[in-house]
Amino acid sequence: MSVPSQDNAVQGSRIGRIMIYAVLVVFVIYYLTPLYVMLANSLKPLDEITGGGMMDLPRAYTLEPWRQAWSQAQIGVEPTGLRPYFINSIQMVVPAVLISTALGALNGYVLTKWEFRGSNFIFGMLLLSCFIPFQIVLIPMARMLGLMGLAGTTGGLVLVHVIYGLGFTTLFFRNYYAAFPTELVRAAQIDGAGFFQIFWRILLPSSAPIAVVTIIWQFTNVWNDFLFGVSFADFDSIPMTVALNNLVNSSTGVKEYNVHFAGAILAALPTLIVYVVSGRYFVRGLMAGAVKG
Amino acid sequence: MKNFAQLWLPKLVLAPSFLLIVIFVYGFIAYSGWLSVSDSKMLPSNGYVGLENYERLFSRRHWATALNNLWVFGGLYIVICSCLGLFLAILLDQKIRAEGLIRPIYLYPMALSFIVTGTAWKWFLDPGIGLEATMHAWGWASFEFRWIKDRDMAIYTVVIAAVWQSSGFVMAMFLAGLRGVDNEIIKAAQIDGATGWRIYSRIIIPMMRPVFLSAFVVLAHLAIKSYDLVIALTGGGPGRATELPATFMYSYTFTRNEMGVGAASAMIMLVMIFSIIVPYVYSELRGEKQ
Amino acid sequence: MAALSIENLIKNYGKTEVLKGIDIEIEDGGFLVLVGPSGCGKSTLLNCIAGLEDITSGQIRIGERDVAGLHPSKRDIAMVFQSYALYPNMTVEKNIAFGMEIRGIAKSERKKAIKNVAEMLQIEELLKRKPSQLSGGQRQRVAMGRALVRDPQVFLFDEPLSNLDAKLRVDMRTEIKRLHQRMGTTIVYVTHDQIEALTLATKIAVLKDGKLQQFGTPAQIYNDPVNMFVADFMGSPSMNLIPAKIEDDLVVLKGGDTNIHLPGPHYLAGYTDVVFGIRPEALTDPDGADRAGRIEIRPCAIDVVEPAGSDTFAVTTLGGHEATARLRADAMVDPGTTADLAFNLDKVVYFDPKSGERIRG
Repeated sequence: MSVPSQDNAVQGSRIGRIMIYAVLVVFVIYYLTPLYVMLANSLKPLDEITGGGMMDLPRAYTLEPWRQAWSQAQIGVEPTGLRPYFINSIQMVVPAVLISTALGALNGYVLTKWEFRGSNFIFGMLLLSCFIPFQIVLIPMARMLGLMGLAGTTGGLVLVHVIYGLGFTTLFFRNYYAAFPTELVRAAQIDGAGFFQIFWRILLPSSAPIAVVTIIWQFTNVWNDFLFGVSFADFDSIPMTVALNNLVNSSTGVKEYNVHFAGAILAALPTLIVYVVSGRYFVRGLMAGAVKG
Repeated sequence: MKNFAQLWLPKLVLAPSFLLIVIFVYGFIAYSGWLSVSDSKMLPSNGYVGLENYERLFSRRHWATALNNLWVFGGLYIVICSCLGLFLAILLDQKIRAEGLIRPIYLYPMALSFIVTGTAWKWFLDPGIGLEATMHAWGWASFEFRWIKDRDMAIYTVVIAAVWQSSGFVMAMFLAGLRGVDNEIIKAAQIDGATGWRIYSRIIIPMMRPVFLSAFVVLAHLAIKSYDLVIALTGGGPGRATELPATFMYSYTFTRNEMGVGAASAMIMLVMIFSIIVPYVYSELRGEKQ
Repeated sequence: MAALSIENLIKNYGKTEVLKGIDIEIEDGGFLVLVGPSGCGKSTLLNCIAGLEDITSGQIRIGERDVAGLHPSKRDIAMVFQSYALYPNMTVEKNIAFGMEIRGIAKSERKKAIKNVAEMLQIEELLKRKPSQLSGGQRQRVAMGRALVRDPQVFLFDEPLSNLDAKLRVDMRTEIKRLHQRMGTTIVYVTHDQIEALTLATKIAVLKDGKLQQFGTPAQIYNDPVNMFVADFMGSPSMNLIPAKIEDDLVVLKGGDTNIHLPGPHYLAGYTDVVFGIRPEALTDPDGADRAGRIEIRPCAIDVVEPAGSDTFAVTTLGGHEATARLRADAMVDPGTTADLAFNLDKVVYFDPKSGERIRG
């Protein structure tokens, strides 16, 4: 089929086109307004905030709220700002993402190229684990972490996120490898390659697209997690999201909204940056995997 | 062609994940199940009490509120996200020049934590400094938008924030689905005399059934698990007006020292999710085998 | 009356010229095949006829009516697509009825039309099924049924057989031909398969890079090609095109140590280099040669022999080029030997090597 032009659009009238664009713009405003509000108000001194005018641009720009949010705000016992919690989050996210992705890749490899009796059942169990309400594991996990001596530590959080991320990472890699021609594996076997060699030298090098998707997905989920953070973390390991919530909800006296806004943006910044930089690949890959189920 | 190592290696490689899942997912589910029939209060305890916790659970007014809220919130969330997502996807499918710019804007909220979303919308909807105040400042003095402080309406604010977060994602799913429609079918419909809207309503949208299903599954499971958003947006309030099963479970387990009841509520949540997911996963896996 | 006439059709995509001035006409009840390699513009041309794409300039007339600007559904055409394009969520019956529904035809009429078409194409038992439950050949017939029920002036087929396996393709090809004979409707058919073109068409239009190379009957296209492209594209195995020199009224095929000299036609005077075109069936073993033709026998070195059942193909080298000869099945030739081959000079055509154009008398 050589038809270059996609003829499936509504051949609309001019008025139709204008209306379509108008509606689209309305929704752009809808989606961007909260971000704009946060950003604009995070740059205002406090008196401008309490004076009203949420939608106005700052009359006096100031980065003070940002400085406060980062290093001076009272969140825990000490006025340390969000910085230590940011570091906690990073310490938790990076290992969790890497480990769960690696395991997911291996699992996907086995489930598609080395099927055995019951492997589909195992996949079903892994898949199901993506969807459980995490509330249901809070109590036993808390006990287990205590027994393992990991209570309140970053290591404990890493373990938790790895376990509950395995379902998704395995799903992504499994769907991806399923479309990978099995003949390549058989050819490699004839050439004498072993189990790990085939993975390492044939499948893995071609896995960049799905690895990107998986890493972005895991990064976003683990970074944005709140429930596990609020249940299992101690001061040394409290992640950013929990800290933000504490900052916002526990302030007594005058609510320093500008600091709250700055803090919220700081908390959102890593995932937003990841999204802006690689969102295209992420959506593309997710569509290939997610719509299939 | 499989030698001994190749026969066992796959199983060995899969074993750690499998074990982890068995213990930490299904084992824990079983444990919670057991807790839900025990007399645990502040700490787990071993007394068997049958279905007493469940009885207590369903007699609690808060639980009824939570379930009702879930029904309202979940229903609206799924329906609005699906319709809005489909609507925006159809619009974007019309060869929009700025699509590369607009699509990421619609999608970015899903990269945010629910905490951030809740926080942002909390202020936006706050009568004192948010939308209402702004409208007053702009001269529209009689404008009222106090839903977030209103017991009856607060749950709808959760809907607004949740829709804002997820509708872009649903739109992306539908857009991918729309793009996957074979161009020749559109041409055939045009030759048959169908024009714009008819082509969508009689042919394209019915073809979107798998996407509707996927979207439903994702949204339903997000709705049932919703915790972060409610905590950040309303804290469950005003009072208990925006209580959802997830917040109920947390508070009853950790702050109200009624662990048995909390575990029971978690089990109910699990049953709800599984009743949707399990048939879906099963049919997908079986479909693939064919 | 011409059922379809296209005058100086030009289509541009932005700056690229995709169709460069096409002139074609097909009479009522004819079978026009648009054939050419990928990217030649044949599908684009079909889409323009259907109204699925705009034209930049030129005129398209369907049944004496200028269809410029008309919506596809108003051009009195029907189309069968390569992927059949059946509506996946409707039963076969509804698929066929859809167009009629839109045009507001009464339910009883619709039922009658569907019944007729289903009988004709033998798809009655399939009416309640959905497309996903049908085989490729069945889907093909349903797609044709949907088109037939419109009772159009012109049927358009866009590579309808490309998605079928070889045997099914041959069967469906015959069915299409039979349908054409029975219904007598004008057909415009796009394919890249030149055998389909030769077997089905009453008129063939050969396209390359958006330009019409030649328009004529299958016999004309096959025996009287207008340039080297058409000569090479049509016919399988393709025509042997051999560079030759003209020396003293003789056509010389220079090859290594042996040159082959053949008497050349007088209209080649004035040329020093030509391309000598001879189809494999015109290059054969002496006993199998056409008695009525002007035959010259020359010895040729045989490289490869390919027995193909009903014929034997021998590959030799002429003028430094590989050439295929078609011999009788029981001709005695061995690879690596020299055998006499008969050249049927009546069937030879000559081309200008620089322009690729045919040299005629």
